[in-house]
Amino acid sequence: MMDQEHIASAFDRDLEGVLALIMQMGGLVETAISDAARALEMRDTELADQVRRNDKLIDALEEQVASEVARVIAVRAPTAGDLRTVLSVLKISGNLERMGDYAKNLGKRTSVLSEMPAITGTGGALRRMTQLVNVMLKDALDAYIQRDVDLAEDVRQRDSEVDQMYNALFREFLTHMMEDPRNITACMHLHFIAKNVERMGDHVTSICEQVVYLVTGDMPDEDREKQDRTSTDSALGKV
Amino acid sequence: MSKEIKISAQGVDVFYGDTHAIKNVDLEIENKAVTAFIGPSGCGKSTFLRCINRMNDTIDICRVTGDILLEGQDIYAKSVDPVQLRARVGMVFQKPNPFPKSIYDNVAYGPTIHGLAKNKAELDEIVEQSLRRAAIWDEVKDRLHQPGTGLSGGQQQRLCIGRAIATAPEVLLMDEPCSALDPIATAQVEELIDDLRQNYTVVIVTHSMQQAARVSQKTAFFHLGNVVEYGDTNKIFTNPEDSRTESYITGRIG
Ligand SMILES: Nc1ncnc2c1ncn2[C@@H]1O[C@H](COP(=O)(O)OP(=O)(O)OP(=O)(O)O)[C@@H](O)[C@H]1O
Ligand SMILES: [Mg+2]
Repeated sequence: MMDQEHIASAFDRDLEGVLALIMQMGGLVETAISDAARALEMRDTELADQVRRNDKLIDALEEQVASEVARVIAVRAPTAGDLRTVLSVLKISGNLERMGDYAKNLGKRTSVLSEMPAITGTGGALRRMTQLVNVMLKDALDAYIQRDVDLAEDVRQRDSEVDQMYNALFREFLTHMMEDPRNITACMHLHFIAKNVERMGDHVTSICEQVVYLVTGDMPDEDREKQDRTSTDSALGKV
Repeated sequence: MSKEIKISAQGVDVFYGDTHAIKNVDLEIENKAVTAFIGPSGCGKSTFLRCINRMNDTIDICRVTGDILLEGQDIYAKSVDPVQLRARVGMVFQKPNPFPKSIYDNVAYGPTIHGLAKNKAELDEIVEQSLRRAAIWDEVKDRLHQPGTGLSGGQQQRLCIGRAIATAPEVLLMDEPCSALDPIATAQVEELIDDLRQNYTVVIVTHSMQQAARVSQKTAFFHLGNVVEYGDTNKIFTNPEDSRTESYITGRIG
């Protein structure tokens, strides 16, 4: 039914315009995440700085989305599916903006980490985790544009893999820190990076929930079990 | 939340000669709530509204079948006097229709014939209160004895609303009551409708989706003489079940 056009064709142009902004934001965030991950792995401070600078573009787009949405609400008084489109746009732009911030934070920590001796063995796992999140983001945005609830559900399920990878990294960092206290500073930074990538996954999950809401009018059931158990993990207590 | 049913329509069909204007409609209208009828022009909203106080009786070629119960009583029963019925079920029409009398008399007429005022002072009080609630008092208080037909269209409509509520009907039917009103008078009438639902059952036909969403708790979507969807207003305007409802309220070609 959403393929039908509005009688007021300017309304269709408004909605298309605001969706185009979301896609533009999504593209910038994907680039930010992959660049940040590459900068970390290659110890490329130049690229890390670029990620930090580019975050301003993402922030500016979020503001543009917010003002467009405000205008559409004021002028069109959207209802039903149109209303859900406009609300989901607002929510998703918020998710993307946060993800951009995490990528920027990754860039900052990369600058600090490149001054320190490398921690061996964790780079590959971090890269795989970041790649996984980035593919999830791409799929979530595809699901959004195509209104594909099945794809959104599939992405939502994949987030538990991210949680598991984070758990594994958490233990690994802990081991490094116990082995040699000189590793603590670097491992703390790496741990924050891993945690932020895990949070990016949560934002992708939230985008997927918006897809379900947009299409069905209801939020999905909370059947997805949280796999991040580090907050209750007894490994810490045994130290 | 009272879920008591005030009006129950069961298998209602309406014909104008060969035109089948309402097709087997079932609808339960809640007591002390505002129900909005929405739908494209010619879908039968006014026709159905007029069934509820037997206004269709006045149209020769119009034939109504099925049952309409007001508090369980069949309003089309032989024993029911349509004039008495219309005192219980008041109506504000799509086009303002003041009597060719003074503003005061327009409002005083109903309360007088139904013996609602003991003396002139009480009648004055009813007239003033009704006109105040209809958001027109300030504009007419100095010209109460001039003809109602001399008012502007929007003022006439508010006068008719004042006239309709002067007899304190249990049910108030309003057919596009705000179509000729400016935004301020519209807001005042919406405020009045919200106020009325404390004590009365209100059914309003409107072409403004925002008005339906603002004033009503229940919404019925009419399409080609059928009630396609009927439910909580919040649900209809955020997530309707039927694709025809969605197309209509979002301004798409259905
Ligand atoms: N007095 C009448 N005589 C003959 N046909 C009528 C009469 N009143 C209405 N109709 C027909 O009945 C159908 C429903 O009309 P109705 O006035 O109930 O529609 P509506 O939903 O109120 O439309 P609108 O939004 O334009 O007021 C239409 O096809 C109309 O032509
Ligand atoms: Mg009508």
